[in-house]
Amino acid sequence: MNLFRSGEHIERWLAGREPGATISVAKLSELAHAWWGDRLSPGWRPHTRHANQAILDQLGLAGDFWRLP
Amino acid sequence: MKEGNLALRNLTYARFAELGRAPTAAEMAAAAGLDRAEVIAAWERLHAEHALVLDPATFEIRMANPFSGIPTGFRVQADDRWWYANCAWDAFGICAALYQDGRIETSCPDCGEQLRIAVRDQRPDDESLLFHCLVPAARWWEDIVFT
Repeated sequence: MNLFRSGEHIERWLAGREPGATISVAKLSELAHAWWGDRLSPGWRPHTRHANQAILDQLGLAGDFWRLP
Repeated sequence: MKEGNLALRNLTYARFAELGRAPTAAEMAAAAGLDRAEVIAAWERLHAEHALVLDPATFEIRMANPFSGIPTGFRVQADDRWWYANCAWDAFGICAALYQDGRIETSCPDCGEQLRIAVRDQRPDDESLLFHCLVPAARWWEDIVFT
């Protein structure tokens, strides 16, 4: 789970491997805030699979790649 | 998750945020009024529930996501302290968990160029960068260190 200078850099780094998913760094920041924002809250409770999937879905991260087990 | 484990988990995270590094089992024992073996036993239960990740050799904290217990290629500065993150997602996650603006330092794995990103009001100052996730969500916890 890395940051890259551009799509060209990702492709070169993959070197023929099956690509995963690429999103903008702005979308990543949104995802991080939704996913980790409560992590230091005294009222933290484990996220359910459903809650985590809802975070992905609400950010438009759809499809098999983003489907949690 | 049992309340006792949850309380130790919350205390562990609070100490991680405060120290800028993973608290040791001995430090947590002193903080929680437990002995070290009790801390490790509770941490093992939290590890099984994916609430943190232990080093299998030392039983110390390897990950308390988004924080990393070991140095990585993702450093985050916020609130006048530094932490290591496990990955790019977690680097932003540290700013998110702290509710702080911050600065992320990493490098492009392809060309090695250093990347410095300021996060202000939850937004990165350089929006030209791309995030790539190699492992599908269904397999993230098969090997969370690789993921």
